[in-house]
Amino acid sequence: MKLLELILDWKMAWFGLIFLGSIFNAIAFELGMLENSSEITYICYAFGFILGLVAKLRGTWTWKTNS
Amino acid sequence: MDMENEQLISEEFTFAKEKEIAKSFSKSFQWEMIAIGLGQVSVWFILWPMVIYSIIPLWAGFLIATTCACFAYLPSHEAQHGNYSRGNPKMKWLDGFVGHLTLITLAIPYHLLRVTHMKHHAYTNNPIKDPDYNNAHGPLSSVIKNSLDGSSINYEKYLEVFESDKAFTKSFNKAVPLALFFRASMMVLVVLFPLETMLLWWLPAKIGTVYTTVYFSWYPHQDTGEGRYKDTRFWSHWIPRFFNHSMQLHFIHHLHPGIGHFDEPKAIEALKPFMIARKVPGAEKIPDRISYNSLINIT
Repeated sequence: MKLLELILDWKMAWFGLIFLGSIFNAIAFELGMLENSSEITYICYAFGFILGLVAKLRGTWTWKTNS
Repeated sequence: MDMENEQLISEEFTFAKEKEIAKSFSKSFQWEMIAIGLGQVSVWFILWPMVIYSIIPLWAGFLIATTCACFAYLPSHEAQHGNYSRGNPKMKWLDGFVGHLTLITLAIPYHLLRVTHMKHHAYTNNPIKDPDYNNAHGPLSSVIKNSLDGSSINYEKYLEVFESDKAFTKSFNKAVPLALFFRASMMVLVVLFPLETMLLWWLPAKIGTVYTTVYFSWYPHQDTGEGRYKDTRFWSHWIPRFFNHSMQLHFIHHLHPGIGHFDEPKAIEALKPFMIARKVPGAEKIPDRISYNSLINIT
């Protein structure tokens, strides 16, 4: 139960890492950006994670002004 | 209804008579709504292999999924009111069956919407107790924004408001595992099929939620107050009613939730004099005949 609570407490960071990261990576792939540099994948997931982490720390997503 | 006002209404428009008329429109088996609910979710499921195997392009899948999402709520709404079983305990499973399945497209648990919707009916337009209050009041832009960012269905604070209502908290908590399941499913799918998950589920669910909130909550309750005959209005605008699930007629649902969705036009025609006598907002603008009338207002 503690683990579930911990996971849920960090749900925005997970959403950023897994959901947004996957979307950014897929868009990069569609744009052909991964052909020469596979490191772009890490950047995509890191960017998603940072967005999620900022949201977790702010208590709300960056595009929202109130929680 | 205030007792004082009740006495002012002539005997011709008593609540007992209104109820009797409404009851005569609350009997039909709503096969159309079941077909819409199960139909849209079936189409939505079939979309996934069709898009993944490139039978149809992703953009077409997105448009179809978004249409499905816009059709997802109303069949569940009828289930929330028990309008499929109509009090028959042997048919109660049908309410849950349709209610749960049709909401997969929107990724929202049925139990959550059912309990909060019952409170919405009980406390319509009450700023503290109506879970849909923020979806029905305020500027349209903020209602859309709240629907997009998920705040429109962030009902957690109502666990505190109704903490003494055991049935509410029990049903609410029953919804939590399903909500987690929806999120977990999306997280797994997005790793395997990122753009498909975004354009067949995540974004259509957002758009469907905006559509539902705007037409089911904001328009019908805009500028209305509290009270049985005051909390929902008759309205019309430039979009034909068939494109917004006839939510111009939502007031009759608030008065008599047992009336089936497709029986509402006939019920309103029969009950129009009662609505005018009770001063339902906008009642004087209700046309004498509603069936097949698009209720367009371009003025």
